[in-house]
Amino acid sequence: MRRPSSGVWLVLGLLALWEASARLGWVDSTNWPPVTEVVGALVRDSVTGELPLRVGGSLYRMFAGLLAGGLAGVVVGLGFALVPMLARLFGVVVELLRPIPVPAVIPPLVLFLGLDDPMKITVVALTVFFPVLTNTLQGVRAVEAEALAMGRTFGIGAWRRAVFIVLPACLPYILAGLRVALGLALVVTVVAEMIAGEQGVGNYLVVMQFAGRAPEMYATVLLLAALGYALNRGFVALEHRAIRWWFAMGR
Amino acid sequence: MAERLRAILPGLAVLALLLAGLEWAVEAGLIRRVLLPPPSVIGTTLWDLLASGEFIAPLLATLRLVFAGFAIGSVIGVVLGTAMGWWPAAFRLFEPLVELLRPIPKSALVPPLMLFLGIGDTMKITSVTLVVIFPVLLNTLQGVRGVDRVMLDAARTHGWGTAHTLWHLVLPAALPFILAGMRISLGLALVLAVLAEMLAGQGGLGFLILDMQRSFLIRQMYAWLVILALLGLVLNGVFVALERRALHWQNRNP
Repeated sequence: MRRPSSGVWLVLGLLALWEASARLGWVDSTNWPPVTEVVGALVRDSVTGELPLRVGGSLYRMFAGLLAGGLAGVVVGLGFALVPMLARLFGVVVELLRPIPVPAVIPPLVLFLGLDDPMKITVVALTVFFPVLTNTLQGVRAVEAEALAMGRTFGIGAWRRAVFIVLPACLPYILAGLRVALGLALVVTVVAEMIAGEQGVGNYLVVMQFAGRAPEMYATVLLLAALGYALNRGFVALEHRAIRWWFAMGR
Repeated sequence: MAERLRAILPGLAVLALLLAGLEWAVEAGLIRRVLLPPPSVIGTTLWDLLASGEFIAPLLATLRLVFAGFAIGSVIGVVLGTAMGWWPAAFRLFEPLVELLRPIPKSALVPPLMLFLGIGDTMKITSVTLVVIFPVLLNTLQGVRGVDRVMLDAARTHGWGTAHTLWHLVLPAALPFILAGMRISLGLALVLAVLAEMLAGQGGLGFLILDMQRSFLIRQMYAWLVILALLGLVLNGVFVALERRALHWQNRNP
């Protein structure tokens, strides 16, 4: 057992300060519940099943958006990189859409797709699309020219070269883009749920805010943080398994 | 300049075709007008907003949030990141706290912040600040740790003090990392500013876009969206240009 560092003490100290300030009334506000009450609220809402159901819904929307946006990003990225004409034609449109802040596309999408799953999945997919596209382009640029030349020498056609040489070679880049996108996807799912509709964790957060139920609100924030952390850890583990050869090369 | 223009000319042509196609699709009734007015109508509305100067106040409101939060968050990120990268004791002290706060989705903090700080600018600027800190902090940390050992030894040999070394050697060497972090943060700052405005139900471009949709003023909604998109484009463009100027020395010896 390693001796806890000063940082762990700092965290514990801050948590103790939180608890004491709320219990002893140093911060006299209903918005400042003690940390133990927050944990209690988290346990209570988990046991009743309300929170797990909402988390499940949010995760479903997140993964659906991640899949759709990720696929689109890889396909468009490979297209742009392998057929320069496509990049010249559509690059400008993509670059004009990229800087739009995500929450702002929600109102127009509500008009077209309503308040429920299709709208939210689309918002997530749009967010995921751009980092995956950027990384796929970067990945294709990093493919070794020798590998491509060898493929050509052996008479492998353009399609097969794209699928069997280019795609595996840029997989590490694509996965890095997906890892960034995964973090964004959870955030954007929650944002979409906060702004529109009555689904998911995001909506729960806003409902609890309006109800003035502070412990539940902080519990939701804690849960989201834990979820984000677990998703990232899980993805990194999968990434290491999927591209072990890449890490074995010492990169 | 002319060369750059020629490079994006096909792209602009596609954009024009796309807009013309939308115009036609709406006129032909393939897309319902209540969902998407013809681009020319949105263009007219946009022109009215721009010509009347009506766009200035909301634009400035949003810009103020972005700049204030971005400035405060960047300073905190750089100072804390430098301290953590330079003094191992500071790293041990703050690392667990940073790792604990980092995965919290900052957008989820907007509702709690509204309870404490109300729906005014303080809440919005705090939200933006919180999201800006972490990318800047982590990149600064990485940059400070990556400073060439030989250079540091040389500085010590010349008898440079800590403050002098940090200011004249470490920060310039870490600048490419810091600026890369700040570029990420700038985009996030705009996102949080818009979100905070939407949830607070007042102020700036974010609120207007949501409000126009809820009032079924669809043309206005798209016009404001275009203004917001242009803002994002300009902010990023300006930052990239400044970054290139600040790092002009970097390209000479890659």
